[in-house]
Amino acid sequence: MARTRPTEVRELGEAEAIRRAQQGDAEAFERIYRLHNRRVYALCLRMVGNTAEAEDLTQEAFLQLFRKIGTFRGESAFSTWLHRLAVNVVLMRLRKKSLAETSLDEATEPDEESGGPRKDIGAPDLRLSGSVDRVNLERAVDQLPPGYRSIFVLHDVQGYEHNEIAVIMNCSIGNSKSQLHKARMRLRELLQEFERSRAREERQAAKGGSGGGH
Amino acid sequence: MSPSPCEQFERMLEEQPDGPLSAGATRHLESCGKCNALWIDLEAIRGAGAEWGSAEVEPPQYLWASLRRQLESEGLIRERPAKAGWLWVWFGAAPRWTVAAASVSLLVIAAFLAGYQHAGSKSATILPLHLSTSTASPRLIAADLGKTLDGDVKRVFDSLPESNPALANSLRENLGIIDDMIADCEKSVREEPDDTMARDYLYGAYEQKAVLLATATDRSASEGQ
Repeated sequence: MARTRPTEVRELGEAEAIRRAQQGDAEAFERIYRLHNRRVYALCLRMVGNTAEAEDLTQEAFLQLFRKIGTFRGESAFSTWLHRLAVNVVLMRLRKKSLAETSLDEATEPDEESGGPRKDIGAPDLRLSGSVDRVNLERAVDQLPPGYRSIFVLHDVQGYEHNEIAVIMNCSIGNSKSQLHKARMRLRELLQEFERSRAREERQAAKGGSGGGH
Repeated sequence: MSPSPCEQFERMLEEQPDGPLSAGATRHLESCGKCNALWIDLEAIRGAGAEWGSAEVEPPQYLWASLRRQLESEGLIRERPAKAGWLWVWFGAAPRWTVAAASVSLLVIAAFLAGYQHAGSKSATILPLHLSTSTASPRLIAADLGKTLDGDVKRVFDSLPESNPALANSLRENLGIIDDMIADCEKSVREEPDDTMARDYLYGAYEQKAVLLATATDRSASEGQ
């Protein structure tokens, strides 16, 4: 007798998978996982910058999703709901790790301590020459406060729209836009700092090199 | 005091960080090197973010296995056997097949088979209830049980009275359903040999078959008397 289950699983639509998962169907859980795992993992990885931690967070996000899936009533898009869960899981982890905690509310009104945009302190503006090195960008994102990091990763990296971010982050659309701008401003400062340190190191290396020659 | 053009420009960026720039803002950029540099840098950062996001990221394969183990340990998921037919109706509500379910199945199968010859109220009186205690634990089922059972199938069919083809047909039909389940379970075990749940399901399916054969043998014996 032909067995059709694997085909059925592949063809299972999201709505049907959700309905079945709400009844505890293992294959439906797997289907939902396969539909969304890349995006959730990418989000986690880009938020924490560490594969082991990203795996752990992805598992935690899906675990929470499956624990709560019975309560999903379809008022919002499933993927938005899932990403909201994932972002919360990541933010919880980041905030636990961070000594200078910065909640979204705090990030809304940033101050010096929370890592908000800082005014120039006399250093000359350094142009980024219209291009940004990926490694430096990742380093800079890693130094952003969690609230800014979330908005930047969700919008500029993951490609979410502000209305989706507003739902995911539980804030207004205007707030999402404002936070994104501030996150980019802070990134610019960080990238400029990297450039300055690199230039300083190069100067020191040049001095050391020329000094050693005499 | 009204804000300076540079302050106005930055305020506009905060409200519309992705543009488009108004005519006034564009004019300001042409005359202000500082704001122009800012705009170019922010665009570069936005572009770098998009480029970063376009890189494919693949979670490791073992992540699902790990997640599944966790879900199983919390009792959140259960397997759904393919083409289980009426058996699934009986066992689908349970989170997983267990030895207890096998005991229940004995009663179901016995009643089903008994019904062919003794329809109505009589079926209740002839259930071979003693068999419910004879269902072996899945752990006692050896790896080669499948082969042993196949030998039993032939023996059981040979023992069935020729005068009752309905019983043989019923047995054949139900064996087909269980064999289908066994094939599915064996496939799962082959794919994930370390999955204890898959092995449990396989044992459960073997047990279903053993119970069905035992019941058929009893039915056959009782008719011979």
